Amino acid sequence: MNWSDIVGLDSAKQALLLLAVDPSLGGVVMAAAVGSGKSTLARAFAALLPDGTPFVELPLNITEDRLIGGLNLEAALATGQRVVEQGLLAKADGGVLNVDGLNLLDDAVVTQVMDAMSRGEVRIEREGLSARHAAHFMLMGTYDSNDGAVRGGLLDRIGLIVPFVSNGDTQARAEVVRRNTASPLDERGAATDEMDMLRGMIGFAREQLPSITISDEQLEGIAQAALSLGVEGNRADVFAAKAALAHAALSGRDAVDDEDLQAAAKLVLMPRATRLPEPEQQPDQPPPQQEQQPKPEQRQQDEDTPEPPQPEAQPQIEELLLSAVEAALPGDVLNLPFTSRRGKSGSRGVQLNDKRGKFVRAVQGEMRGHRLALLPTLLAAAPWQRLRRIENEELRMKKGSEFSPILNSQFSIRVSDIRVKKFRDKAGTLFVFVVDASGSMALNRMRQAKGAVARLLQNAYVHRDRVALVSFRGQQAQVLLAPSQSVEQAKRELDVLPTGGGTPLASALMLGWDMAQQSRRKGIPNTTLIVMTDGRGNVGISGERGAGGKERLAAGGQQPTAKQQIEDELKQLSALIAADGVGAVVIDTQANYLSRGEAPRLAKWLDGRYVYLPNARAEQIVAAIDGAA
Amino acid sequence: MATHSTPHAELNALNALNTSFPFTAIVGQEEMKLCLLLNVIDPRIGGVMVMGHRGTGKSTTVRALADVLPAIKRIEGDVYNRETRDGRTQDLSLLNSHESKVKSQKVQLEKIPVPVVDLPLGATEDRVCGTIDIEAALTRGEKRFAPGLLAQANRGFLYIDEVNLLDDHLVDVLLDVAASGWNVVEREGISIKHPARFVLVGSGNPEEGELRPQLLDRFGLHARITTITNVQERVEIVKRRRAFDENPAAFMQMWEPQQQQLRKRIVHAQKILHEVVMPDDVLLRAAELCMKLGIDGHRGELTVTRAACAYAAFQSKAAHGPIDVKYDDVKVMATAALRHRLRRDPLEIVDSDERVARAL
Repeated sequence: MNWSDIVGLDSAKQALLLLAVDPSLGGVVMAAAVGSGKSTLARAFAALLPDGTPFVELPLNITEDRLIGGLNLEAALATGQRVVEQGLLAKADGGVLNVDGLNLLDDAVVTQVMDAMSRGEVRIEREGLSARHAAHFMLMGTYDSNDGAVRGGLLDRIGLIVPFVSNGDTQARAEVVRRNTASPLDERGAATDEMDMLRGMIGFAREQLPSITISDEQLEGIAQAALSLGVEGNRADVFAAKAALAHAALSGRDAVDDEDLQAAAKLVLMPRATRLPEPEQQPDQPPPQQEQQPKPEQRQQDEDTPEPPQPEAQPQIEELLLSAVEAALPGDVLNLPFTSRRGKSGSRGVQLNDKRGKFVRAVQGEMRGHRLALLPTLLAAAPWQRLRRIENEELRMKKGSEFSPILNSQFSIRVSDIRVKKFRDKAGTLFVFVVDASGSMALNRMRQAKGAVARLLQNAYVHRDRVALVSFRGQQAQVLLAPSQSVEQAKRELDVLPTGGGTPLASALMLGWDMAQQSRRKGIPNTTLIVMTDGRGNVGISGERGAGGKERLAAGGQQPTAKQQIEDELKQLSALIAADGVGAVVIDTQANYLSRGEAPRLAKWLDGRYVYLPNARAEQIVAAIDGAA
Repeated sequence: MATHSTPHAELNALNALNTSFPFTAIVGQEEMKLCLLLNVIDPRIGGVMVMGHRGTGKSTTVRALADVLPAIKRIEGDVYNRETRDGRTQDLSLLNSHESKVKSQKVQLEKIPVPVVDLPLGATEDRVCGTIDIEAALTRGEKRFAPGLLAQANRGFLYIDEVNLLDDHLVDVLLDVAASGWNVVEREGISIKHPARFVLVGSGNPEEGELRPQLLDRFGLHARITTITNVQERVEIVKRRRAFDENPAAFMQMWEPQQQQLRKRIVHAQKILHEVVMPDDVLLRAAELCMKLGIDGHRGELTVTRAACAYAAFQSKAAHGPIDVKYDDVKVMATAALRHRLRRDPLEIVDSDERVARAL
């Protein structure tokens, strides 16, 4: 394997090198689709580390026992001693934990990985065992952003994030093919040389790391840039400083310079940004003017803690960092995969039930109303056999000759051994509010929807439901709240509800359908779309505006008009959504009952329920949804 | 990156884990720190729940608390950390050998640091509450009770990080024990009851998962924590973290004087706590405040007064009492003691902190 043979993936390679220099950066997470060469990269990274460094693959279907470790029963029975087996997390200690599909990991597993990362050790306190194993590992994770985001708590503990792994351009692709077909003979020699050299560089950088300096101004610049980008928490600053230091070490510098800061901004700060450094609509604004107008949110935030006067150099450093972030952003800013806050979240960890869903683990319990987990029951009984034999013997002596089949049996199982199956309940429903944010009643509608979202989330806890909100206006539909169970999150994200413009109903339905399919992949089988509209979709999927009355007159009404096309499009799409098994409730918010007609028709197309609620209160909306589900 | 393959290296790695960041070196987050310290001074305050943003030092701070806690006396080697034989366990025949010492007349006391038990999320009930010693059963066919984490936490702190991700069932067990002060185990033919009084400390991020509403008001104080926005403070955080990561021992050494000072201050506050007096008019105003906020029951009043007393003791420089609690002390503690006891309305726009502030 040769590092330089991996074409493209430059940011990913850079991140991995920094991690190799300073493992306290926690890890590297990269968004990488199938075929982007991520497994090749993982192998190459393993080869860069000193010989004997553990490299542990975490399979997606791992059980909790194997992850954190537990009693090795075979050994225990054979030797008569308590033998604790290390889990995968402990096996990765001092090395790499590699996860392909970080966002597909079970919630309970993610929670354990997070816990181990925050402690630097694994603690086992289960099934009569108490043990702790060191677990300082670097996490190398990949995920496909089409399958949703990585849990925020986990991302927070991982220093380096590469949100766009692309080797898309044809030049690079051609190069991949050329190198893959290159003669293996001359490759091998060159490969070893290059890897040896890189290993040497990393080793040297590690030695130098403690003596490399970073100035206060540079640290201030990092903090200021993190604030401007709306990065949550203070851990990112630490990671950014460490990344800059590692970059300087790798470049053979003894002090951090601009280039190091830029690398840190790209790999640490940018992926954690929750807002853009400057207003999008004024990209040509000259920098000096920018500084005089701090953004309103920022000013608000700083109110409680007055800013001390900043030294001269610091704004320039912040600017440098922010421009590095901007340079790393792709053109299509709206579809950023890094906004983890809008991604999968709010899952309440381990929620288990008795009969439905995916089998997760066996727990102690009564057999009544449960399914017996035979093997775990036998395993639970096993350690006690010797004890029980002695007890049974004593009992038999006492009772004399009285025959007791239970006391005579070879293997004794007691009520306390009974283990029953627990299943992960993901059978809740996803409710997607599709809300028309155009027209004069938009504000009202949005407020109603927000109320209903809050109301539904109050119960979501019980029903394992999730709630999402899509609004549509102008040319496009927009996800305002990705599927969530968190009231807090919903409150914050729905704080700003943009309204006004045209009505791209079809785009919004499409977005809702996408969500339904995505959550189905994650184990939530049912989705209900709650469409709050007056039913008039006047902008098509392609974004072209439907003709108003005047234009239709001009067209003579002969040919299918743009409006007609949009309607057909809506009808077809609705039929597809209905056929896919997605439920629907159409809430008609039209105040003037005489002009009704579009919304009932939409409900019919969607094979859903129609409710007329022009001035709905949150409870009424929830009641209407309950009636339909 | 060397592997810790030898047992010695493994031991060293574990020892290194035990050096936590010094409490006094933690920048900002004063509310959380104060709430924790007041629970040290008066454990009857009823614990702290810390909720807030990621990466703001919640777990670092709680884990750092252990190092500033004063020592307690216990019967030598007692796994339940008992000081006297009052907290007697039932069914003594099943207990470990040290128990015979407890039964005998010659009771030796020893000093130990206040225990802080850090509950891992995957913990099962048998290890939390205690169960039969699996090794004794395997090797000798003996039935012996192996005390769990609740026994270890007696007279100390029990910390649950990411409390909102813990199994509901386990949370219920913990809350029951925390409320009663006793742990009762019925298992494998044994029946044991032992004292388990501890201060419950939880922390979490509301976005990782919603807390059950009834869970929050079981905690005495509720601290909220947000991202620090002051640039100078943030720079300080980075510098201290780098220094600590590079050489934990040297960093601890550097902060030892401050740690020592805080330890002294805590011991002093504990000593004079019983001399703190809450005048009737202050008590009346505290009660009025709770009424104004529409708080049901008396737990709110009780917590706010206890917290105010502990705060007065913590602030006092006097060597002796009596110390009068002022309404200002109540004001300082009101938000943390009451914000989680207000009636919840999902559509309420006004923040609970704001509501407490207005009532004040």
